[in-house]
Amino acid sequence: MTSKNKIFSDLMRELEVEVGTRDLTEVVLLSLIDAIKGFKGSKFDNFCKQYSELAEILTNTEPKFGIFRYYFGFLEKEIAGKVCRVSNDNTWKKHAIKKINEVLKNARKLKRDLIKYSDKINVNGKTILIHDHSHTVQDVLVHYKSHGKKFKVIIAEQDFEKTHDNIERLHKAGINFTVVPAYMLSHIHDQIDMVFFGALTLKDTMNFVLNPGALSLITEFHVEKTPVYMFMGIDKFSLWKSKKRAEIFIHRHKRKHAHKPIEYERIKYSHDRVPAKLFKKIITNEGVLTPEKLKKVFMEKFKNRK
Amino acid sequence: MFEYLTLGIFGLAFVFIVIERFDKSLAALLGALLMVIFRILTPEEAIHAIHFETILLLMAMMILVNIASKSGIFEWLNVKIAAFTKGNPLAIFLLFSLLTAVFSAFLDNVTTVILIVPLTIELVRGMGKDPKPYIFAEIIFSNIGGGLTLIGDPPNIIIGGATGFNFLDFVVNLWIPILFVSILTMIVFLLKNWRTIKPISDKLIDLTIANIIIRKVKIKFVKKTIHLDFVIKVILALIATIIGFMLQGYLQLPNYVIAFTAAIILAIVTTKKINIHESFSSVEWTTLLFFAGLFVMVAGIEKTGVLEQLSHLVANSTDNIFILALIVLWVSGVVSMILDNIPFVTVMIPVIAGIQASFGATDVSILWWALSLGACLGGNGTLIGASANVISADIAKKHGVNISFLGYMKFSLPLTFGILLVCSGYLYFATL
Repeated sequence: MTSKNKIFSDLMRELEVEVGTRDLTEVVLLSLIDAIKGFKGSKFDNFCKQYSELAEILTNTEPKFGIFRYYFGFLEKEIAGKVCRVSNDNTWKKHAIKKINEVLKNARKLKRDLIKYSDKINVNGKTILIHDHSHTVQDVLVHYKSHGKKFKVIIAEQDFEKTHDNIERLHKAGINFTVVPAYMLSHIHDQIDMVFFGALTLKDTMNFVLNPGALSLITEFHVEKTPVYMFMGIDKFSLWKSKKRAEIFIHRHKRKHAHKPIEYERIKYSHDRVPAKLFKKIITNEGVLTPEKLKKVFMEKFKNRK
Repeated sequence: MFEYLTLGIFGLAFVFIVIERFDKSLAALLGALLMVIFRILTPEEAIHAIHFETILLLMAMMILVNIASKSGIFEWLNVKIAAFTKGNPLAIFLLFSLLTAVFSAFLDNVTTVILIVPLTIELVRGMGKDPKPYIFAEIIFSNIGGGLTLIGDPPNIIIGGATGFNFLDFVVNLWIPILFVSILTMIVFLLKNWRTIKPISDKLIDLTIANIIIRKVKIKFVKKTIHLDFVIKVILALIATIIGFMLQGYLQLPNYVIAFTAAIILAIVTTKKINIHESFSSVEWTTLLFFAGLFVMVAGIEKTGVLEQLSHLVANSTDNIFILALIVLWVSGVVSMILDNIPFVTVMIPVIAGIQASFGATDVSILWWALSLGACLGGNGTLIGASANVISADIAKKHGVNISFLGYMKFSLPLTFGILLVCSGYLYFATL
């Protein structure tokens, strides 16, 4: 792994935790526009060479982000394939930025389509449980609220920052919510009508990659026969052969006891893998899919990509 | 016997202040109490020895800065500047060094580095660069900026309190050496670190990384709620304070009255946005009591006549004011590299006042400026030379950047000698 690869991988992981994968893509694309605007390379060829290197790095971060491959694969064709061939054109910067803006527009449309399909879930009078801080799920809830739907939200408490992110967003949108520690949900199973999740990606093993803690919670509600829904765009699919647990990072660190002179090792895992079959429906920008249908759609795209 | 006892108490307290076995305020207060218990000073003399003007000014500024920082204005300014640099390492270096100097001129140096160093580390390290040169520059510019104004650094507050020099006197007499010292420091930094801070505008990958980091910082900041009315009130209060300090001569009001008026009015108009108990608790009582203890101990020493003898000794050694100013500058500079400059300046106050008295009508105010320059800028020499240095190294360590004593000194010591040489040049021209 080169130093630039490492810098990008660290940065992407940190940002993904903070803003989620979809907003992360937007951040990277907008930053690329800023970088192109500020680029003062001596030669046009210089830009093209560096752009190819950049695209290579971005599509090979650790973990790999399916969404990056989706959009940067498209950009690679457009910028390296088209813009960079017009080497004598002095307006190459304008062309490159135009292409990135098209990608951004497409990403936003894809999100709108997903939200449109989320209307197929009837949430009126229901209590929805959320756990991860998926911005897609947050957007869907805000959409329901703005369309006058009456529902309640229970936030399963987990990492301080992620829970607070959910609280801030729901509070801002005026959505009625309560917070319950994730390990105490068994006391309120009967109050929860449905569970919403978002994901980082879907692997070829038909496992979603989600925030840690999701697997036990989803399993719990699967056993209870409470419907669990996944909200994820098809642009996040990992359309390559996956390695074993490559996307799961283990953070080991020393921690001190609050009151006693005890130091201990604390281990945290970056993600959980959750089988798609545990979800009742998967809401995508191409429609509401069952796990079986999702597999078909995925395989089709996987073949096309190959 | 009386003299030996006084010097013994002071010496012992000073040793404990230097080795910091326990908090230095305790050492200073114990020393002050022993001066009273052993009848070196009467309780009334001890109370009278405390420069309440200095302590009240510090207290008022601590409250004012605490309320101002609650508005988020300093973080906002940081983020704006980060965005303005567009990720250019040279721009980050220049603007953040300048911002540090400006902040330090009006806030205390420790607050300044607490605000700026973490953001710098995040920006620079995120780009895969070594943040140390940037942190070194910020440490040095915090001490340089602090040296410019009456409220920028505790030694200046002590000197102002003892001499009656106002805010404008400090700026008028110190801006030239501070400007030249800043230019020298900037040139040295640029020459030494050009490879790491040169512009990256021809490197698309680095530019993209830099822009992603800037957006990341903005996202973090956006999560904090900023109330525009609060920010405006803070800006107005800070401007009013600075104007008040500048017009002190016309207003005929002590600095602490001006600072307290601004702090209290700001607290009243922002009362719903702040917790006044928290703002008052932010006053660093250990620092203020340390000052009080020092003032009492120095009064004890003064009573023995030792400081008067020292003044005569120095004053009689030469009648050349430039040489005297050089002695004051270099002694205070070198001492401040190793020891806390606050007790040193407190001891030097009666010494310089004594020299001044022995010169009669001749204007020797340059000695005060030499003391200020030496004490404020000498602290740059080592990692323990000033509180801002120690705090910056701590912040860096918390963020995984290890700044060693020698690693810092290899760079800072020659630069500090260069800085003191520039100041010597200024003193030469000022005494012509």
